[in-house]
Amino acid sequence: MSQLSYVGKSCARKDGPDKVTGRAVYTQDVKLPGMLTGRILRSPHPHARIVRIDTSKAMALPGVKAVMTVEDTKGIKHGFVETPRYPPDQEVLAREKVRHVGEEIAAVAAIDPFTAQKAIDLIEVEYELLPAVFDPFEAMKPDAPEVHPTHPKVKGETPFSNIGGRTATGWGNVEEGFREADYVREDRFESHLRTHGYLEPQATLAHWEDDKLNVWTSSMGTFVKRSKLAKVLDLPFSAVRVHKTYVGGTFGGKIDLYSHEYCAARLSMITGCPVRIVATREEIFSAYRHGQPLVMEIKTGVRRDGTIVAQQVRAINNAGAYRGSGVVVIFLAWGFTMLPYRIPNLAYEGLSVHTNNPVRAPQRGHGCPQIRFAIESQLDRIAQDLGIDPVTIRLRNARRPWEELPNGDNVHEAGLIDCIKVAAEKSDFLAKYGQGRKNEGTIRRGIGMGVSSYFGGSLIYPNGSGVIVKMADDGSATVLTGAIDVGQGAETVISQIVAEELYLPIEDVKIISSDTDTTPQDIGAWISGMTYVTGNAARQAAGNARDKMLRLVAERFECSVEDLEIGGKCVQRRGQPEQRMTYREIIAFSVATRRGDTIIGEGYWRTMRDEPAHPSLATTKGRWSENYAFSCQVAEVEVDCETGEARVTRALTVHDCGFPVNPALVSGQVDGQVSMALGHAFLEEVMTKGGYTLNPTWLDYRMPTIHEMTESDDAEVITEQYTVGKPYRVKEVGEGLVSGILAAIANAIYDATGVRMYSTPFSPEKILKGLQQLRRESRQKTDEPVEQIAELSK
Amino acid sequence: MLKRAERRKSAPRRIVELCVNGVWRYVTVEPRNALVDVIREVIGLTGTKDGCEQGTCGACTVLIDGRPMLSCLTLAVDCDGKDIRTVEGLAEGGKISAIQQAFLDQGAIQCGFCTPGMLMSITSLLEENPKPTVPEIKKALEGNLCRCTGYNAIVEAVLQASDQGVLPVTR
Repeated sequence: MSQLSYVGKSCARKDGPDKVTGRAVYTQDVKLPGMLTGRILRSPHPHARIVRIDTSKAMALPGVKAVMTVEDTKGIKHGFVETPRYPPDQEVLAREKVRHVGEEIAAVAAIDPFTAQKAIDLIEVEYELLPAVFDPFEAMKPDAPEVHPTHPKVKGETPFSNIGGRTATGWGNVEEGFREADYVREDRFESHLRTHGYLEPQATLAHWEDDKLNVWTSSMGTFVKRSKLAKVLDLPFSAVRVHKTYVGGTFGGKIDLYSHEYCAARLSMITGCPVRIVATREEIFSAYRHGQPLVMEIKTGVRRDGTIVAQQVRAINNAGAYRGSGVVVIFLAWGFTMLPYRIPNLAYEGLSVHTNNPVRAPQRGHGCPQIRFAIESQLDRIAQDLGIDPVTIRLRNARRPWEELPNGDNVHEAGLIDCIKVAAEKSDFLAKYGQGRKNEGTIRRGIGMGVSSYFGGSLIYPNGSGVIVKMADDGSATVLTGAIDVGQGAETVISQIVAEELYLPIEDVKIISSDTDTTPQDIGAWISGMTYVTGNAARQAAGNARDKMLRLVAERFECSVEDLEIGGKCVQRRGQPEQRMTYREIIAFSVATRRGDTIIGEGYWRTMRDEPAHPSLATTKGRWSENYAFSCQVAEVEVDCETGEARVTRALTVHDCGFPVNPALVSGQVDGQVSMALGHAFLEEVMTKGGYTLNPTWLDYRMPTIHEMTESDDAEVITEQYTVGKPYRVKEVGEGLVSGILAAIANAIYDATGVRMYSTPFSPEKILKGLQQLRRESRQKTDEPVEQIAELSK
Repeated sequence: MLKRAERRKSAPRRIVELCVNGVWRYVTVEPRNALVDVIREVIGLTGTKDGCEQGTCGACTVLIDGRPMLSCLTLAVDCDGKDIRTVEGLAEGGKISAIQQAFLDQGAIQCGFCTPGMLMSITSLLEENPKPTVPEIKKALEGNLCRCTGYNAIVEAVLQASDQGVLPVTR
């Protein structure tokens, strides 16, 4: 059957009814009898030695059940990455020193939130303040305060004691490349500190029952959380059960192990009672992990026709007080540099620099919006200097289908060229481009373009996903999957695939997900690989159950499987309607004749199955992904030249996601990413001074409201297809699209005003300053003779 | 253990009567208890979400005497005798309301954490103004943050629920 019933259709969300009625259970909704409230004591200083901690007064407060410090832990360290080069570097509570404001020092469990807070206030800590450093360039100076004096130093960088990680890679010969180039440009771009802005606060409930730790936590992958929690608690994995809850947004901010998760667990083990810790919004803004601000120095050499011949990129990350994902973002920034365009000679260096700022986490796009903003902005400048339009220069360099990447990966049916063409056509790009700057009025319009590419899935623990499909007596199916629905629609997509493979109405597919004890292991919702990896596992599991049923029917009617037709929860012999069995009958027949086999299908999938591990973070050697998505995004802006305010009037996203399993969910992802990029471009900034967050509330950290959203259109370039019973390839769609659009906005502001944005956010101040500069320059040009006359007449 | 006298001193409690989703509830509260905590922790209706405790995200929006209010900034003691509606009270007789259906049809939900607050703000809007314009919809929802959807699908859902010619996107 070639006609698809569910895959490729905009099926309504499986979790929709729960979510519109308030039945959906999130971590903060779970309540257990005898539950205690936990709170965390945090450092008020960016860098200090802990001289003394006295918990006696807190312990003596009526209603307090436990107070713990690092002395109550096993001292096992953890890290976002744990490799021989980058070993775990953080304890769950501070030992001897605090390295950023908000670092966790102690935790209490009490009968209610008020008592818990009172107890926190009663803990006495004596600090000896240490000099602190907040800027990565200051931190790289030889006399800078050392954030981690005992860390192994990055090779060859001994004087720069705060460099916590380095990625260095390249190919060809950039020096030769630059010599060959007709035109070389060097620019420096900066991105700023933003946060994830998930609506559901960080929350964990833990309940220790003699030999089993039950955990409910707001996360991006229950299996990853289980492994990290079990490790720091020194428990076997099997002693920790992370239960399913719905998750109220993550965007990268809920993947690391957080201290509150450990503390809830440990406090429950100490008290024997369930302990719940919910972070306040102020804590999340001030002490939890944000994204990664990068400084990017880019030198590019091109031929006269715009062909890139060499590129040299240096990315410096203000990585905060512990390693976090700081060493990952400098690896990824290389990847997002080399993906969309052919660069025959590349030299890349990324540095992750420790400072006394809070730790950094992945944030949707994880380096991609920053680096694409820089490269795409510079590419537009180059195009302008060479007299080439933005579409042509991108088409000239865009990767073609089946190109091999320098690391050995292949882009397969890469649709980038079509994305650029369709985006240019749909937005009428070339007719609009360059018109804004001709206009002398107050309100000026501009159009800009940005390209990006993103990987779909890579190898990092737990590396693979398993899925089980159980047939029920009534012919319906239950899917067991470890996939976690963080809002992206994992449960819906997996149900669609199972319904398709089993020829079942989607209503007959029940889904049980993301519980580490009852569902198979899963990669989780954090490396953009779920629809591909877990989806293929689900396809295989459902196909396995379907094939078992077909074989039974073939045996019953003494025919071959090829003679059978399937549909309407029945299997029948082609052309012989009397030789027909319903699913219900098949299952009963199986139980009766196959020693009780109730028909269970199994499936599993791993990306790059012949690859041993993830690529090297330091050298980039090794394969990264087998699925690369490509996109071209266009922004149209309107700039008020009196106030300097810019706004996006229309956003267009044309992307190659392979094919959309659920087009409505894909459009939802696009809209959400455009909205997030608008926040990045214009509104959001975590402002810090001396390591303190100055705006720890949504009143002052301005996330886009409904007024700020713009018209957002999207179109897909279809490069892959789905066939029942066959493996399929889909590409990433959930995070890369925050990138091209950010660059497009910057380029559109230039198109409207002639002002080039070298740093995010694109604030009215920067735009006004740029306009003033332009006016001054043009006045100088026209006024020069007049000034000379004035000079002479003196 | 807390001594009884000490407990009284630390928490002078009051009994308030709240009509929650049409049912009168008698709850004992401390004056400092926010309505959201009473609804979620005491009454046990966890559909109302607590996103910031600062009155900035709108996830905790409930209807108090028909008007959308931030239950994290409302003290429960101030609600004595008032009519309170939460997301659990939107479906009638087991049938979800037009706006709930429209959220499903337009893909106006992702993580779902802002959804209950959004639905309450929209319910109040549609009761006062059955055919709101897009600017009126935006005005009514300006206090409800959504990080996932980019809002456009939510506007479409309101237009669908108010019969303004928007057809379902999902099936």
